[in-house]
Amino acid sequence: MSGTEDMGAQGARIHEWEGADAADAIEYCYEQGWSDGLPVVPPVERRVAEMVAGDPRPPDTVVCEHPATARACTLLSAAANAVMAGCRPEYFPVVVAALEAANEPAFSFHASTASTGGSAPLVVVSGPIVEEIGMNAGAGVFGSGNRANSTIGRALRLVIMNVFRMIPGISDQSTQGQPGKYSFCVAERADRNPWEPLSVDRGFGAGDSTVTVYAGAGFNNVENHGGGAPEQILECMADAMANLGSITTGQSVVVFSPEHARVLGNAGWGRQQVKSYLYEHATRPVAALRRVDKYREHEHARYGEQAVHRGYGPEDILVFVAGGDAGGHSAFVPAWSRGRSSIMQTRKIRALAPR
Amino acid sequence: MMMRLVDPSAESRMDAHRTAPRLADLEGLRIGLLGNRKINADVLLRETAALFESRHGCRVLALEEKDHAGKPCPPDLLACIASESDFLITAAGD
Repeated sequence: MSGTEDMGAQGARIHEWEGADAADAIEYCYEQGWSDGLPVVPPVERRVAEMVAGDPRPPDTVVCEHPATARACTLLSAAANAVMAGCRPEYFPVVVAALEAANEPAFSFHASTASTGGSAPLVVVSGPIVEEIGMNAGAGVFGSGNRANSTIGRALRLVIMNVFRMIPGISDQSTQGQPGKYSFCVAERADRNPWEPLSVDRGFGAGDSTVTVYAGAGFNNVENHGGGAPEQILECMADAMANLGSITTGQSVVVFSPEHARVLGNAGWGRQQVKSYLYEHATRPVAALRRVDKYREHEHARYGEQAVHRGYGPEDILVFVAGGDAGGHSAFVPAWSRGRSSIMQTRKIRALAPR
Repeated sequence: MMMRLVDPSAESRMDAHRTAPRLADLEGLRIGLLGNRKINADVLLRETAALFESRHGCRVLALEEKDHAGKPCPPDLLACIASESDFLITAAGD
């Protein structure tokens, strides 16, 4: 074993395991409580070393903390969980950037993992790295089948469970959970995007690769196969955003399919115009909120006496394009935070360290 | 087959924390209340404190609240409550 592969010397706790075959090693990982319910790749020292070498900083560098539980995730811990998730080493910079973004106090990482609200960190990747590491931004972007999408999102979940000990039913009190708690990672589709890259919209350079993390609740499909005008598409989306079960002062993520994005782009609607329209139309009468006992003076008085909006303004809506070429299906992902306790964060992705 | 597996978990620095010393006598003590702005949090805290009032003659201070349920209590607020009370009643919940 080379010096760089000796994770024990780097401060890692090592389990000396002996068994019949790799399947037995997977069972051992289950017995240790390291799994999300699915088989994990055993965190073999050599693979963890290779993973952590993708970041030039010392392995004991802390990239994410939960002050409430006094637990910290180092690069080494992140690497071990990334290996278990099935990540390739070239995915590691995305995993690290996502953890660092979630570490921003405004994201409220710990609270989002403990809450009854069923939050999972939605990871949105934008920029050249999408193609470089083979992410899926097309058909089935929110689904299974792509190693990068699946394992990057899964790595975050395994960190949440193994490092921060947010265990379903114990410290994770999510009432019902949601499928994104396995993995919730997508990429922006650049070739069907009528606007500037999401990374630019979030304040970074045109050639930068970025990751945006968002404490998201369950995914809403927004369907419109006949609408040929922007207002027809957007009214459907705004209605979904303002449904009585979803409308809060929290943020929103809106993902347009290429078909819907084409309607918007061909009509000359810019991203800001789309956001403004959505904000203005994602409203619900105050009377409706009072009728279902969701009106809260300290949250909703700011909107006046007639209607409440979703969010505080157009800037609270993240808009990007992803999905397959066919199908009038877009998506709305409501924020876990019913108020303002979690705000989405964006981080530039570091280049993979040279080997 | 042998493998050296890297443990993916982390220890908590909180494991070294200790509970505060127990109070020897509750008679006449001042009770701080810290809520999280969830529905009925104030009711739960005040009803609980009322038991100490009636049984031990405690004095209940005004309810303080965090801005957000999901965030830790600001240290200055905690320090202020600690300076004015003998013990605190708070809760976690939805």
